[in-house]
Amino acid sequence: MALAGVSFIQWLLGAMLIFSSLGVILAKKPMHSGLFFLLVLLTLAGFYLELSAQFIAAVQLLIYAGAILVIFVFVIVLFQDAHAQIIKYASRCKPLWLALAAFALTLTLVAVVFSLTLPPTVALHTDKPNFGTVQSLGIDLYSQFFFPFEVASLVILLAIVGVIYFAKKES
Amino acid sequence: MLNLVYAALGLPLVGFLLLMTISSFCTRKQSYIIGCGAILSAFACFGIVLVRHILGEPLVVEYALFEWVHLQKINVAFTIHFDALALLMSLIVTGVGFLIHVYSIGYMEEEEDHARYFACMNFFIFAMLLLVLAGDLIVLFMGWEGVGLASYLLIGFWYTRLPAAYAAKKAFIINRIGDFGLLLGIVLTFYYFGTTHIATILQKGGAISVDILTIITGLYFIGAIGKSAQLPLFTWLPDAMEGPTPVSALIHAATMVTAGVYLIVRMYSLFMLTPLVLQVVGIVGGITALFAAICATAQVDLKRVLAYSTISQLGFMFLACGAGAFYAAIFHLTTHAFIKALLFLTAGNVVHMLHGNTLMSKMGGLSKRMPKTNYLFFLGVLSLSGLPPLAAFFSKDLILEQVHAADLNWLFYAAFVASVLTAIYCMRAYCLVFTGRASESALSAKEAPLVMLIPALVLALLDIFGGFLEYNYKHAILLQQFLDFIILTPVEAELQNGLKWTDTQSVVVASVIASMLIVAWIYTRPYKRFAKGVNSAKFSEIVQKAFFINEFYYFIFVRPLKACAKFVSGILEPQVFTYMLQWIGTFTQKFAIVLQSLQSGQTRSYVAWIVLGATFLICFLVL
Amino acid sequence: MPLLYIMVISLSMFTIGIIGALVKRNALLFFLSIELMLNAANLLFVYFAQSWGNQIGLLWVFFVLVIAAAEVAIGLALIINLFRQKQVVDVDQYNDLRG
Repeated sequence: MALAGVSFIQWLLGAMLIFSSLGVILAKKPMHSGLFFLLVLLTLAGFYLELSAQFIAAVQLLIYAGAILVIFVFVIVLFQDAHAQIIKYASRCKPLWLALAAFALTLTLVAVVFSLTLPPTVALHTDKPNFGTVQSLGIDLYSQFFFPFEVASLVILLAIVGVIYFAKKES
Repeated sequence: MLNLVYAALGLPLVGFLLLMTISSFCTRKQSYIIGCGAILSAFACFGIVLVRHILGEPLVVEYALFEWVHLQKINVAFTIHFDALALLMSLIVTGVGFLIHVYSIGYMEEEEDHARYFACMNFFIFAMLLLVLAGDLIVLFMGWEGVGLASYLLIGFWYTRLPAAYAAKKAFIINRIGDFGLLLGIVLTFYYFGTTHIATILQKGGAISVDILTIITGLYFIGAIGKSAQLPLFTWLPDAMEGPTPVSALIHAATMVTAGVYLIVRMYSLFMLTPLVLQVVGIVGGITALFAAICATAQVDLKRVLAYSTISQLGFMFLACGAGAFYAAIFHLTTHAFIKALLFLTAGNVVHMLHGNTLMSKMGGLSKRMPKTNYLFFLGVLSLSGLPPLAAFFSKDLILEQVHAADLNWLFYAAFVASVLTAIYCMRAYCLVFTGRASESALSAKEAPLVMLIPALVLALLDIFGGFLEYNYKHAILLQQFLDFIILTPVEAELQNGLKWTDTQSVVVASVIASMLIVAWIYTRPYKRFAKGVNSAKFSEIVQKAFFINEFYYFIFVRPLKACAKFVSGILEPQVFTYMLQWIGTFTQKFAIVLQSLQSGQTRSYVAWIVLGATFLICFLVL
Repeated sequence: MPLLYIMVISLSMFTIGIIGALVKRNALLFFLSIELMLNAANLLFVYFAQSWGNQIGLLWVFFVLVIAAAEVAIGLALIINLFRQKQVVDVDQYNDLRG
């Protein structure tokens, strides 16, 4: 069976992930969606740990859950009243059309999954004991991928400038 | 010599262009001088050429003006072929043309648009000269079409009058039918002979098979039928009398309608090789002569009598051609030009003095009020009837003798009857117009002004002495000698030996005189004249309407075409075509509206489109 | 861990994200669904990095995280601006770009 070799905790994590992502879109209040998203992030961090990507798991928690989610929750709180007003207007996009698109994509992806020739289960590589640690990633980041690293910092700078410009009040 | 010909050809053209250019601001005197001056100088040029020729200088026969069409297989040069026949025709055209131009000065004295009139007349002279001087069939066709156009412009000169406009249209269209035949003939000529150069064609005539030659000459004859108003295509000529009388005199009596005869005589050696077509020519001519003469006897309009008379006389000319007597045809053409122009000009005097009225029922008793016109018209009547020693006696008689000698017995009888009828209707017209008691509108008529009388007088003189062109006195006949390239029939050749008084002549003259006396007696009885044929009995009406051929043509040809035109413009065009075009527009609009819905501005809709696109990509790339 | 398992999880998360993007009318939740999609991709990257022992996958996830952060910041600023203009957070009302 193709699904052999999945340990219990991985099953658990997987189920959690599906449950929480469903919760994101099915929640009635936006605040609940935000909290479900937090759960998604935490579960994902668990997955990354299972996949021996420790640095990434930590970074995910720090940045995604710690910064991005916080901003999101901020703005959600800001627009709580506005959210209630959405029901007043009729939907201006034909739902049938949306359903069609979603359905098409789902079908395609299912087809993709089932048409894959799956490679045999790969064991954890043991010849790289430092795989996924901060140290080895840092070496790669500051030597091989130095330029993208700098560009990334520039991007953040741009984002800061842009956000400040946008969020200014009209004077 | 050649320079004179060029000058003569070019001067009317210059006159036309000049008058058209200055037409909006030129004075009356200017247009008179330019119009008549151009034709007078052209006539003078030809006169000089004639004098030089008589003094011994030979005529330059052929000259190419310039290379016109120079494609691989088609090589047409703008050639001028100047021989005796062309010179004779040119003299007639410019001479009679000049006289009629002078006459027009008087006739059109109240006309505002005089410049356009003289311009069109000049253009006509130019086109006619081009036709007779042509050395190449294409040039001839140019002249042919040009005279058709001039005819249209001049018949419809008073274009605001509806009958005139219709008549002009009718003339042009019926001419077109003939022109189509001629054009086909030219195309076939080019195909089989390889060239349209007339002299070359006449020489190579024998080399082409007779069947093809029959078709070609038959097509030429169809063109001649259209232009010269012979039997199937004659209905335009009576209606063409809607134009001014000088126009009728020049175009529809003396010159344009003779273009058909000229064509046949010019191509005579081809026609001699195809006896079948020549027979048809003769038959059509004879039947037309008789038919038109019958119709002329019942007309109520003075100008229409003369129109049918023209058709009849043209029938005589074609009959002569059919009998192989080409010289006789040309001779009759010459005398007829003088006589008919004279008749038309004097009739024009009457019409002008009665302020445009042409119905004979409103005329009468004008002999006392317009004495000079009276004498001139009577002279024309006597001449046309064929009384010696006036002009038409010689030419008509020659034709009758030829037909008799060629053993065409039925045609001879037909021509004989037509001659007698000619006398009858001419005399009838004269009596109705000039004798008897005057009607009310005729009471105020005065004599015509001098400028209108003098050209008529000149023509009368030509009329009297023109017959003697044939007469010889010890030497060979003048005209005959002149046209020495045309093969003479034996009868014609005999004339060299002197003018003889044959039996035929006696019979003809006697019957003519008798009939004229009878008619004169009938029509001068006051109580009978208006009962007979002016308004009418049933039979009279049938004849007057030319046996309803006009109505027949209208029914068969014009009505279906009009119905088609109405269909296209009333139903096809607004409903179908416009609808189709509108549909394209509407469809585009609807399609645009459909496309617009794609750009709804809805984010979610856009996301849906992206998702669909991604689906397709995945399908194509992965699956 | 077998590939199929991760594939199914990842693709389900991705599809759920797309459905959320199509269905949600609140602009913030729309945005949140997009983040869900990003995370689905991240999961796959990490799995394949581990599967082939190549750390470039992990670094890729790192940069995706960075860009996601920047994008969220700007996106939320835009939504705040839009709210100021339209006084609603309903994406259906943000249709001024129609033609």
